[in-house]
Amino acid sequence: MKKKTGVFVCHCGINIAGTVDVKKVAGDLAKHDGVDVSEDYVYMCSDPGQNMIIESIKENKLDNVVVACCSPTLHETTFRNAAKAAGINDFQCEIANIREQCSWVHKDMDKGTAKATKITKSAVEKVRQNEALEPISIPVTRRALVIGGGIAGIQAALDIANTGYEVILVERNPSIGGHMIQLSETFPTLDCSQCILSPKMVEVSKHPKIKLMTYSEVQEISGYVGNFNVKILQKPTYVDPDKCTLCDECTKVCPVVMTNEFDMGLTGRKAIYIPFPQAIPATYALDIRGCPGLVPIACGKCADVCEPEAIDYDMKAEIIEEEVGSIIVATGYDLYEKENLSEYGYGKYTDVLDGLQFERLCSASGPTQGKVLRPSDHKEPKEVVFIQCAGSRDPELHCAYCSKICCMYTAKHAMLYKHHVPDGQAYIFYIDIRSGGKGYEEFVQRAVEEDGVVYLRGKVAKVFEDKGKIKVWGVDTLAGKDIEIDADMVVLATAMRPSEGASELVKKLKIAMDKDGFLAEAHPKLRPVESVTSGMFLAGAAQAPKDIPEAVAQASGAAAKAISILSQERLFHSPMVAKVSLNLCTGCGMCVEVCPYDALSLKDGKVEVNEVLCEGCGTCQATCLRAAINVKNTTPSQVHEMIRASLGG
Amino acid sequence: MVNVEDLRKEAKRILKEGKVKYVIGYERGQNGLMPKPAFIKDPEDVDRLIWNPTCVHNLTKFLVDEKKRKAGEKKPDERPVGIVVKGCDSRAIIVLLQEKYINREDVHILGISCEQTGVIDEKKLANKLKGKKAENIELDEKGNFVISVQGGTIKVPAEELLAERCLECRANYPVVYDLLLGDKTKKKVEEPFKSLEKMESLSEKERWAFWTEQLAKCIRCYACRSVCPMCYCDECVVDTINFAVTADTTASEKAGKIKWVEKSPVPSENFVYHMVRAMHLAGRCIDCGECERVCPLDIPLRFLNKKLEKEAKELFGYDAGFDPDEPSLVSSFKDEDPEDFIR
Repeated sequence: MKKKTGVFVCHCGINIAGTVDVKKVAGDLAKHDGVDVSEDYVYMCSDPGQNMIIESIKENKLDNVVVACCSPTLHETTFRNAAKAAGINDFQCEIANIREQCSWVHKDMDKGTAKATKITKSAVEKVRQNEALEPISIPVTRRALVIGGGIAGIQAALDIANTGYEVILVERNPSIGGHMIQLSETFPTLDCSQCILSPKMVEVSKHPKIKLMTYSEVQEISGYVGNFNVKILQKPTYVDPDKCTLCDECTKVCPVVMTNEFDMGLTGRKAIYIPFPQAIPATYALDIRGCPGLVPIACGKCADVCEPEAIDYDMKAEIIEEEVGSIIVATGYDLYEKENLSEYGYGKYTDVLDGLQFERLCSASGPTQGKVLRPSDHKEPKEVVFIQCAGSRDPELHCAYCSKICCMYTAKHAMLYKHHVPDGQAYIFYIDIRSGGKGYEEFVQRAVEEDGVVYLRGKVAKVFEDKGKIKVWGVDTLAGKDIEIDADMVVLATAMRPSEGASELVKKLKIAMDKDGFLAEAHPKLRPVESVTSGMFLAGAAQAPKDIPEAVAQASGAAAKAISILSQERLFHSPMVAKVSLNLCTGCGMCVEVCPYDALSLKDGKVEVNEVLCEGCGTCQATCLRAAINVKNTTPSQVHEMIRASLGG
Repeated sequence: MVNVEDLRKEAKRILKEGKVKYVIGYERGQNGLMPKPAFIKDPEDVDRLIWNPTCVHNLTKFLVDEKKRKAGEKKPDERPVGIVVKGCDSRAIIVLLQEKYINREDVHILGISCEQTGVIDEKKLANKLKGKKAENIELDEKGNFVISVQGGTIKVPAEELLAERCLECRANYPVVYDLLLGDKTKKKVEEPFKSLEKMESLSEKERWAFWTEQLAKCIRCYACRSVCPMCYCDECVVDTINFAVTADTTASEKAGKIKWVEKSPVPSENFVYHMVRAMHLAGRCIDCGECERVCPLDIPLRFLNKKLEKEAKELFGYDAGFDPDEPSLVSSFKDEDPEDFIR
């Protein structure tokens, strides 16, 4: 029996009707072979529009329908649900995108109409060969993994755990806290960063639903949404946290001094160390990069003095396997590399600092106990130059993007400096001030008005040392004159970049990066916390530069998304998956190699599809020389007919 | 130097010991100088095997035939097949291994090094003979081919007789083998893609004119496809009648058969056929030159495949047929792969 097809063309107000003669498209389609009904309506997605489709399917006993409207990413679900409501399989409904792919990109009504007709005809040809499909049902592991223990990771972990689901929080450093714990005060309220973060860290460590794994890294991930298998490498700290009493005797005897990462290299620490006093978990770690050897004969001093015998040189790296249902990636940021910013003397002159170093100088727990002193001679700097956009907004030499938070923290830095050194002078070189955000503009105004910070609109050309001062040559483009400042200290608002190792993790997780290496969201507006891989979500500065409130908000958003998976009994997977024609498959395995989802494998010389892993991307289909593997409802025969229709045949 | 006796000895041994089903090699042809493929089952027949610069055929095609025949047998003889291969032919085996079409244990490879020469081009030879009949051909120590003809000999410098592919050869001895005869010194080839230069210097219009003329000649005898060891698909895109129907073939599969190419040998369809073949051989063709050799219309098919070989080499650093464990060109992706073709 011949299949009956209905076509429904949407005006989308004038979005489509402005460049496409919708009535003509519907009329032409009515004459197309195999089309029984062809109608148009002003807003097909509205209730009356949907009802029109439902009634028509029932009345005309249609086998399948084509809705010519906007992109299927928007209303495919709407119309498939309508088709289902009318009693046909949802996959018997296809969308012909005549808006994004036609009306919006064309100006000429005649050409636009002709193209819309072809697009719709090609969808008619496709839908006619569509198979009725049922979603694939899969069980859910109701636990989550959070990668990264900065503020975003902490917030996401707490939000998920507080709904009652178990969370594994993985952090590669010995303590959670991320960069936020290094900060002195936070804008725009100038409250102490550690004071607001440490309660959350304690909550994480005490939470019965959170399994905290510090000094650990995700090694391998397999599986799919709802059922990921994660291998986590737990690096040995050589200190038993249960036995350690935090007496600090070990650091006194340790002979090795290493760079203190927490103080951004402004101070040193021992090879055995606690990252900072409020570290979570509160314990020491032995950094084997500096330790002379894990045998008593090499040194062994720390073990000798450790009364509770907490030091265990035999501790080994462990690989721990965990099953989780959803994953949140909150790997944060690092600062743009020093060596790239040599024009500002960064990395060359001791008194040219980056923003995080300045945070440490201002911090009560910092190397100078909160006194702002020059690292070189411990004198109070009387003139300090702050340079914004150091590495940001510079597509020729550095990063093209805006690091977003620098305008605000530079204002804060200048303000804090003035609070510490009231008779000092702060200068800020800037391109523009971007202070959008609640209370942000007022904050910047406060820096100018109350603290007398001098804002100079312009770029700095050169920074060099001269007679114990740091000479800063710049230009004030508003006054139109060159500026020369003999500064005691220069603070760079260094660009943010994705944290080290993020690109390797991206490959393991099979999520995507944008051109700058930040994690790519599934849709910049409507799916900002979802990664391109289902079940994996993004939080914090790993996705793009952002400040604390934004990171926290995104983390809570990601947590809600993760919970929306964990709260399901079963998940449903799209049945548009690859299918192998066994008689054509020669078992060459090329599709196995190209499959980005590891959904294919060779079995007895033929390819086998794991339907749950398959996302229906069609890479295998494009690779197979023999057309032996095809995604359901996108078969060569369908594509052939679609091409024929598009060519006007 | 390759001593054909060593080849015969090994063939005899493996046949006698029952290590192989049969040995595929070269034997003297019935008509003139050119040899024909030999299939030796009896150890006593090994003296039929020959080796000389006329052994042009890529015998690996018979491994494909063997696999297809075996698939149809109820109780197949699982022993390997012995096969004589040159450097280029061995690369075809590598591709078949890479594509898991055959297993390494299915073949016993008798590799022969072309040393510093290669095989001759029949057409070039015919030009030199000017109607005379050649009885024998040998390489002298100065690198000349000495052709015995009735009433004397003709001496020709090797490069004037060698097949084009041998002049551009990058694997003058087998990459994979169980026994290797001859010298393993790498041949120096300064310009492996020299033959393409002239074609590449033509304008788009001139190239179109050239190929229109060449491909219009094609009678679609499919000799190029039949001789190619990489054309092993059961069903070819150009055949709609030859669709491999088995018990598993569903009705929708049968209904879904598409006629991508018309059967008639008209220029447009010939273009599609040759383009599809060339694209399907990208990163797989190992330049054995057989397609061009067997073409009854002298279509310079090697240009198409050589060009794609060059593209693969220059864009992706990929050389077909050297490493069986490497993923094939079309199934591998590297972050640093060029994308400048996306416009």
